[in-house]
Formats: sequence, C-alpha cells, structure tokens
Amino acid sequence: MKIEKLKEKSHWLRKELFEMVVRTKKGHFPSSSSIAEVVVALYYGGYLRVNPKNPREPDRDRLFVSKGHAGMVIYPILEDLGFVPKGELAKFTKAGGMFRFYPDTSIPGIEAISGSLGHGLGIAAGHALAAKREGRKYRTFAVLSDGECYEGSTWETAMFAAHQQLDNLVAIVDRNGCCILDHTEKCVRQEPFEDKWEAFGWHVLRSDGHSYVELTRALDEAVSGRIVGKPIAIISKGVKGKGVSFMENRPGWHNRMPTDAEIQQARTELAINCITS
Amino acid sequence: MSDVPQKLPRDSFIDEIYAEAIRNDRVYFMSADLGAKALDRFRKDCPGRFIHAGICEQNMVDVAAGLAQCGKLVYLYAMAPYVTLRCYEQIKVALGHMELPATLIGNGIGFSYTDAGPTHYATEDISCMRALCGCEVISCSDDTSVIETARLTYREPALRYVRLDRKFLPQVYAAGDTRFLTDGIVLTDEGEDACIVTNGYMLHKAREARVNLAKQGRRIALVDVYRIKPLDPKVVRRVLEPFSRIVTLEEHYLAGGIGSAVLEAMADASLSRPVLRLGIQDRYFCENGGRDYILGLSGLDVPTITSNVAKFLS
Repeated sequence: MKIEKLKEKSHWLRKELFEMVVRTKKGHFPSSSSIAEVVVALYYGGYLRVNPKNPREPDRDRLFVSKGHAGMVIYPILEDLGFVPKGELAKFTKAGGMFRFYPDTSIPGIEAISGSLGHGLGIAAGHALAAKREGRKYRTFAVLSDGECYEGSTWETAMFAAHQQLDNLVAIVDRNGCCILDHTEKCVRQEPFEDKWEAFGWHVLRSDGHSYVELTRALDEAVSGRIVGKPIAIISKGVKGKGVSFMENRPGWHNRMPTDAEIQQARTELAINCITS
Repeated sequence: MSDVPQKLPRDSFIDEIYAEAIRNDRVYFMSADLGAKALDRFRKDCPGRFIHAGICEQNMVDVAAGLAQCGKLVYLYAMAPYVTLRCYEQIKVALGHMELPATLIGNGIGFSYTDAGPTHYATEDISCMRALCGCEVISCSDDTSVIETARLTYREPALRYVRLDRKFLPQVYAAGDTRFLTDGIVLTDEGEDACIVTNGYMLHKAREARVNLAKQGRRIALVDVYRIKPLDPKVVRRVLEPFSRIVTLEEHYLAGGIGSAVLEAMADASLSRPVLRLGIQDRYFCENGGRDYILGLSGLDVPTITSNVAKFLS
C-alpha cells in the first residue's frame, strides 16, 4: 500500500479509537494513538502476512501488542480486515461483544493475552524459537511500550533472544517517554535507551513513530534478510496522545476521560489528519 | 535398604522424558540453570530441544508459553521455589489463562535442600500453586509415582506442577500399581484406629511413627495425597470414611497445604471427623542441623508425631 493510503488509514483509525473510548468510557486513547502508525504499517503495509480467514495458520506472521493497555489499537483493523464480523467494534467492552478492554486469545487475530506488562516479548520469543527449530519462515513482531521496559522480564528475554540469534523476531519499542505518573526520565531514568538494546545484543533501528517514510524504511530493513543472527529492535519515537493537542506528551492523560468540551475539541482536531509523511 | 531406588527422583523423571523426546520431537526441556545426571544425556542427544532459559524463570515461563502455542510439549525445570513463586504471575497469565499444557518440575520440595535455608525451601508452594486456576498439583512419594507421573505428563498434557523430593524416597507403590493416577488419594498402609493423611518424605516418617504406634496397640492407616489438586471429594470420602479420627501431616505451612486441601474435600463430601493437623510452624527456618532436625523444631520428628497422634487418639 502506498504511503498516501497508509496515511488515510491513520486518519480513520485514530478517529475510531477516540470514539471507542468516548462511547464506552473505557480504553486508552493516548497509548493507542502513539502506535497507530506502527500497526497500520504492519497490517496494511504488507509486513504482517496474516490470513483473516484462518487466523491460526501455522505459517502466519505473528504480532504481539505487548503493551496491552493499547491492545485496542488493532480492534478496528481486525474488523476492517474481516478477522471478526462487522459490528463487533460497536460492542467494544459491552456484554456479548468479542472485543475486551484488554485483548486475549478468545478474539480472532489476537495471539496472546496482554494487560500485564513484560510478557509479550517472551511469548513472541517462544514463537520465533519454534520457527527456527521447525525451519518455518514466519516472522514474529512484538510491540512494546517503553514503560514495559521497566519490567525485568523484558530484559530477561532480550538477553535470551539475542543468545538464540532470533533474527526472525522484531521488537518495535514505542519510545514515547511517558508512563502514568510522569515522563519516564523523571520516574526512573531509562536513557541511554537505544544503547541498552544494543548492549543486549540486538540490531537497533530507529524511526519516527508517526512517519510512514521512516517506519517503512525501518521495517523494510528489519525484514530484508540482511540482518543475520540478531533480533531486531526498532526504537519508534511515538507521541502519547498523538493527534489531540491537549493530550500529546502529557502522562496524566493515560487513562483520564475528556469532558464534553474536550471531546468536541478533540473531534475538531482529529477531523484533520495529523500524519503528514 | 533394599527398597531404595537407584536414581534420584529428578533422574527417574527426566529419563522418562528423555525416552519420550527420542520418540517425539515436540518435547522441549527448559532449565533455569538446574542440572541433573539424566539431563546430560538429553542435552547431548537433543541439543536443539534443551533450552537454557538463563537464570530467568520469568523468561522461561513466557517462552514456554510461546513454544506451547506452537504445539511443543514443554518441561520447565528449576528448584521448587523458583519454578513456582519466582515466576508466579507468568504461570497465571501466560500458561494458566491461555490454557497451555506445560509441566513445571519443582525439584527439592519441603526442606529437602538440607540446611540451605528459607530461600531454597519449598514450604508454601502447594498453597500457592493450588490457588492457580487450571493448574494440577502432584507430589511424588516414591520412584514408581515419579515414573508414572512423567509418563502422564506426555500422555495427557496439561498445566501441571510436579513436586519432586531432592532425595531418594523408599518404595510405596509396586511397579505397575497406578491407583494414585486414577484416585489421586490412596490408602497405602492398612489400619483401623485412625489414619494419617500425608505425602512425600512425611509419608515415610509416618511409616516409622506407625510402627511405634503399633507397639502401643494402635493400628494406624496411612494415606498418600498424590494429586493435591484436583481432589475428588467422592474419592476422599471413600478413602477416609472408615476412620473415626484423621491426622494430616505435611512438610509445609498449614495455611493452604494438604491438610487444607483434604479438609475442603471432606467438607464438600459432607464428611465430618475430628482432625489433627500437623505441619511446620509459621516462621522461617534458618537453623543448621539437617532436615530431620528442622522438622523436629515444628514437632514433625518421629517421636513427637508418635506422641501427638497417641494423645489425639486417647
């Protein structure tokens, strides 16, 4: 899909995500908005080879949105691509609806439960290791938050995946710099962030998290086959709350609900696509 | 003693898994840096399917979940406290919630890492693991039950926590006697006056106490609680109903251990009996002196068990 088309998907997805949250007073728009372009690029950019008609096909690529509070980011996409029947999105968090506050494997297209941080990379590494042992060609992607990199289990797996030379594993780390109480560098310092991944034996690529030009360049490199013997980390500079000016880069908006006036302002802003490249 | 098996429990278990691994390339064995004599052969002959997880139990469980999702039959091996409490939330979320079959092998239950202290003792693992939804809890009291448990894990894959003693345990079941697999709770020694419900190392201590009590004219039955979870109340009723008094005996804290599990099953089966619960004191044990000495500090030495049971019956 051409970049112009991907940008259109961004515009659609961001508005859907906002309305899901406003409608139900549940969900995390800022964290989801921060990785909207990452998941659009994966699903619509041809990087994630999946089959909505057979979500468990053994040779499918795997995607683990490990930052489970933003797991809802792919719900509109799962409906759009036909993993679930049309109309499911309207039932987000409602009784009888498939889409839950936090995803789990009861939802077609969801590979693992999420919500508790620090699991996705390990489970993804298990899939990547199985592919190596079976000689399968599928790739495994894990989308992590930087807040998730406080979890020791993330680094346990970072060390393990490098040792196992899982070059079929791509971690996309959303470096938006915010957790709930404050910016990460004011909570517990994470910098030098990229150096940590490099020191753990990963091949590190960098991208603006909201630029398809940069994201597709990084993803092209990640799946090129030129990176051999090392797992790949794409450090994606996202903006938490991207697209809604008063939420952008404000940790306090992690799970705050907007007032009616704020909703109107946000809708006005989201009517214009914030993605330009 | 002629009935002492030739192999440690972990070696008997791993030898069975090795045999299956040779037949079945879906078998994967993960270790958080714990070895075993039998594991050397597995590592040599199945190098791609022995996975060193690092001393990273959390990683071990999450990776195992991924492998299990890809159809692998995964064994996770570490000292009992580390393969349970250290990665408890991982087991709940990644294995329990996703209903993935995997076998957690806890080596060195109770005080069997003699003199190592509270970091190495597994004395609350039963209560923790039986609280996890969908997790079977099994404790092996002899070599036959170890071997049959290993075979069960690949014949009927499920999320299971298997408790292994670190030391040799004398024989309880004759080869081929697999009543424990079907019933979970088994009368191992006959008696009429009362029964002691126990397992593992303490079953063998109870046997010594039983001999002492026989000299006092007390005929005591012994019951092995092999499968702590799930316990079928109907079977518990069938096994325990003949006894007017019941003693539970465990190398574990009383909160949530086998005494609790058996009493819950008795309540569910409307079986009411006077019960004496014997377990370890509610404190951490750092003292030197060996397993039996530490057990004695909680009154779990053979003479004190003998006198407490006699007192309970009089």
